[in-house]
Amino acid sequence: MDDLPDPVTYAVPAFVLLLIVEMIVSLRADKSRYSARDTMTSLMLGTGSQVAGAFVGAAVIGMSVWVYQYRLFDIGIEFKSWWWAWILCFFLDDLAYYAFHRSAHRVRWFWASHVIHHSSQHYNLSTALRQTWTGFFSLTFLFRLPLFLIGFPPAMVFFCAGLNLIYQFWIHTEAIKRLPKWFEAVMNTPSHHRVHHGVNPRYLDANYAGVFIIWDKMFGSFVAERDDEPVRYGIVKQLGSFNILWAAVHEWVGIAKDVWAAPWKHKLSYMWREPGWSHDGSRATSATIKERWAAGRTAEEAAE
Amino acid sequence: MTAVFVQAGASLVIVLFVAWLVGKMGLGADPRIADEAHAIRLAEEAEAGFHGVEAARDRAGFAAIVQNAEGRMMLVRAHGNHFAARPVDASVIGKLDKDFLTLTTPERTFGAVTLQLGRDAGMWASRMREFRRG
Repeated sequence: MDDLPDPVTYAVPAFVLLLIVEMIVSLRADKSRYSARDTMTSLMLGTGSQVAGAFVGAAVIGMSVWVYQYRLFDIGIEFKSWWWAWILCFFLDDLAYYAFHRSAHRVRWFWASHVIHHSSQHYNLSTALRQTWTGFFSLTFLFRLPLFLIGFPPAMVFFCAGLNLIYQFWIHTEAIKRLPKWFEAVMNTPSHHRVHHGVNPRYLDANYAGVFIIWDKMFGSFVAERDDEPVRYGIVKQLGSFNILWAAVHEWVGIAKDVWAAPWKHKLSYMWREPGWSHDGSRATSATIKERWAAGRTAEEAAE
Repeated sequence: MTAVFVQAGASLVIVLFVAWLVGKMGLGADPRIADEAHAIRLAEEAEAGFHGVEAARDRAGFAAIVQNAEGRMMLVRAHGNHFAARPVDASVIGKLDKDFLTLTTPERTFGAVTLQLGRDAGMWASRMREFRRG
């Protein structure tokens, strides 16, 4: 495999610097945007994710190289001759990210790994670093494999994925309200991504984009942030704990318990159905929550 | 592999520094439940479709119990700068001690919550028992 640097490694000092800048802004704007224990948990989960990634990195690269040998086209990596391929790769990688991210919210197996990132009730730059420990186990790398089959060199794809990750860092903030209209129309922004982290029924399961918000607009998952409804962050059943290990594995424990207790014909469904699904309907999925919320609003409007 | 551990060690130092800085800068909040209406709103936000009709707030405002018209109850408590809630169902153990009602949820990480409810503590303990029997 060609050797390219990992752009994320170079971005880490900027991450730390921006984090401190945001803390200073919060000191003046709203002190409750940060909590020492929450920040500690987020950053420890980020560190754990780094370690977990290092352990499985070789396996992911190995699989990518193996798939790449069955590629349809030969695409070079040198930028001067293949600049268009780099741009295309960045776009398609972002589309693959959209597919992964949407699945990560709609399939409990993938959600069990992704939920870490949503488990904070805060929305600040430290939340961006609250990353999964179990991504490899939940098979999230599958979503990028089609890029290797097309013929994009693994080094190119991983470099683009790194840039994608760097872009997503700065959008985890309440310090930026809205950006120019043209930018909000095309790119993922703090406003769009706040909606994604929201647990308000109106905001559930929306804005899965990584870099380009156009995917949500194309595939019908876009919801705009409203000034009259501030976003409440976190997960539907808030963790209520700063325990790092619990944040990392609680949904896996939930799956294991549910699969163990469920009747045989429903066992698999507790893994592949949407989060909140239950065979007896005793729990609430995001669709159920939205229905209840809509029913409540209709009743309120009728009463008025 | 050494590089991984060096990187993790460096991350750990940064993590501790940033967390220390958050505390040193005085960032954070001390959230309290202001009144019954606030407790009801928090319970309703925690579970779509739950409509609280009555609430008992802990004297210090750290926690509250909210009941809906069908008798179902929700426990709301402060968590960091925010709040977290759990339904008070059959798995929750209630213990009454004069003016104090302690609710222990089966989730170890959520833990037990002690509410100072004054003379209302007994009434809420009875309601819990009634709902369980119901």
